[in-house]
Amino acid sequence: MACHFIASVGAAEIRNLKTATLFLLVQSLLLSFIIVAFAEKSQNYTLYWWAALTFITKVVIIPALLWWHIKRTEYIEVKPLVSFVVSFIILSVFLIVFYQMIRTYVGFVAPTVEATIEPARSSLALAFTIFVLGLYVLVVHRDAVKIIIGLHLIENGVHLALVTLVPKLPVTTILGIVSNVVVAAVMLLFLTESIYKAFGSADTMKLSSLKR
Amino acid sequence: MVVTINPMVVSILPFLVFMVPLVFGGLIFALGRLGKMFRHGLALAGISLTLLIAVMMTVRVLNGEVLTWWGNNFYVDGLSTLMELAASVMGAIVVVYSMKYFGAKTEIEEAHPYTSMTTYYGQILLFLGLMNWTCATNNIIMLYVSLEFTTLATVFLVTFHWNKPALEAGYKYLLLVTVGVVFALLGSVLLYSAATPFLPASRVLLLTELGTIATKIPSNIVLLAAAFMVVGFGTKAGLVPFHAWLPDAHAEAPAPVSALLSGIVIKVGAYALARTISVFAPHYGTIPLFIAILCSISMIVGMMMAMVQDDLKRMLAYSSVAQIAYVIEGLGMGTYLGIYGGLMHLVNHTIVKGLLFLAVGAIIYSAGKRRISELAKVKFKMPLTAFAFFVGVFAISGMPPFNGFVSKFTLFLAVGQAKLMWAAIIGIITSLFTLVCFFRAGYKIFWSEKEVHAVGAEAATAAEVPAAMWVGMVLLAVAAIVLGVFPQIMHPLLDSATKCILRILIGG
Repeated sequence: MACHFIASVGAAEIRNLKTATLFLLVQSLLLSFIIVAFAEKSQNYTLYWWAALTFITKVVIIPALLWWHIKRTEYIEVKPLVSFVVSFIILSVFLIVFYQMIRTYVGFVAPTVEATIEPARSSLALAFTIFVLGLYVLVVHRDAVKIIIGLHLIENGVHLALVTLVPKLPVTTILGIVSNVVVAAVMLLFLTESIYKAFGSADTMKLSSLKR
Repeated sequence: MVVTINPMVVSILPFLVFMVPLVFGGLIFALGRLGKMFRHGLALAGISLTLLIAVMMTVRVLNGEVLTWWGNNFYVDGLSTLMELAASVMGAIVVVYSMKYFGAKTEIEEAHPYTSMTTYYGQILLFLGLMNWTCATNNIIMLYVSLEFTTLATVFLVTFHWNKPALEAGYKYLLLVTVGVVFALLGSVLLYSAATPFLPASRVLLLTELGTIATKIPSNIVLLAAAFMVVGFGTKAGLVPFHAWLPDAHAEAPAPVSALLSGIVIKVGAYALARTISVFAPHYGTIPLFIAILCSISMIVGMMMAMVQDDLKRMLAYSSVAQIAYVIEGLGMGTYLGIYGGLMHLVNHTIVKGLLFLAVGAIIYSAGKRRISELAKVKFKMPLTAFAFFVGVFAISGMPPFNGFVSKFTLFLAVGQAKLMWAAIIGIITSLFTLVCFFRAGYKIFWSEKEVHAVGAEAATAAEVPAAMWVGMVLLAVAAIVLGVFPQIMHPLLDSATKCILRILIGG
């Protein structure tokens, strides 16, 4: 769990886009391990399907797409609004406090009694923390690729919440959710590349010709 | 109130209504490049078949049946047919309209190799299929999945022109709506999980079961999930403060696509809210209040932003933000009158905003401009478009005898009944300012004296558009008047749709 947390912060904060992608890969890998661990514990075999689908989409396809995209366009990240050190410290402190708060007052977000018992409790707290981290990335970062990474952090957070809360989800539904994520990622990368070609930059702050 | 239990009938229609457009969409992608005949023929065939199926379903639902398929996973009741019928009619009009609209030189020259008429018609049919799927599904997680797919299917319609503003609008649209809808997924997951202890596993995911558990699950979870869902589906619907994508996307898309976006796409968000939030609203007084506050802000912001626009399409887009707020306000009340008024305004706004966007498309087609200040210098000889535009103007501002009046009046009654008089007053003021804003634009374009700046130069003239374009507009304009004078025509379907929500609500 701690590793998962560190990998998420890494994906969010590392300035080198390739390294950040690798961190996202590790984060997703840990997510699929968590799903396997849940499956072992509850002897729920649909969860293995789920873990496999997560592995294929989130560990293989999406990082590969990101990697391929970064390699082809060869641009470096546009600087975010907040500098690295400040962002890192504030974020870490905030996230740890947030995690502890959710964990302590889990009754506010846990819909069932089962969810308030370990390990669901920590897992749920972690899911919400990663969700908030992803939102932070979306707000603070200006780089289009980094925003896609942020979006995937959000999706992974929700995915973890899904596994924790509703482990009996049918496979067709899971397939729907993950295919959704992959199609969205492909289209976002395609649009990012077109924007990069048209505007000469991947800075979302410059996308303001339509403001008003 | 007596709510009768309708017989559930297993039927393949709920499956066909989304499968037919999906298959035809695929066929267009595969065969559309062979020629114009293939594209247009397939698009027309697909949309007519869909319309036929939607009408067949409507007739059966009005006879008191509820159509289900695949063990309750697809469930078509009055509300679903209402949405599917509206989508199919609007889709048919848009497809016919597009056939001439894109004949204009300006549009084709701008089109980029990535976008072509083949992908255009393909995506429109794909979108209609996904839209019908969203309205037919009865699974709370699949509702999220198909809702998100409707966004994905329309992104490349928004970026059709493939120029800088269109790309920017498409990027914002895709990113913001995707992020927003993930919130709705989180809300759905919380509800689903909370429902698990009370229902057998096979029925726990079903939307129709929400009513039975509405009072059983902890109130803090309902409120949290409701907040997440309002954010998620509200983003899709374009409520303030989640509306940032809407004016860009609706303004930069080609006019027929804008008509589809404002007419249908944002309504999916309202539909999803009707299926989820309306079920909980009567049990929790804070939900109607929260929704009324959010919608009042939406109305004020949308109306004020519409007033200051010089770009006709952006003006219409901002007005959509204000108008969808009326719909959601009604649905959020959770009372018969509120839901009835909300659904009625949903249908009316689909008709009227579709009409206005098509009329503006006709203006752009003939004059090649879309700024009000530039259009004020063009001489218009377009009586049918002008007629359609002014009908739209009066209908959207809720003037009698047009259809907007009936639905807005119902809504104000419902809001007043819920002891939220201030919200009703904000709604009335917004309507008046909408009239000012739209009438000013219409006056400047069609009636004002055309000043000629250069010596000896004639003011540019714009002639009437081809029949394929004005037929749709005139149909919608006539519908706006007829439904304003005889609103009872819509009553059976609206009544059935409202009772569907209420039936879910009492857990029947």
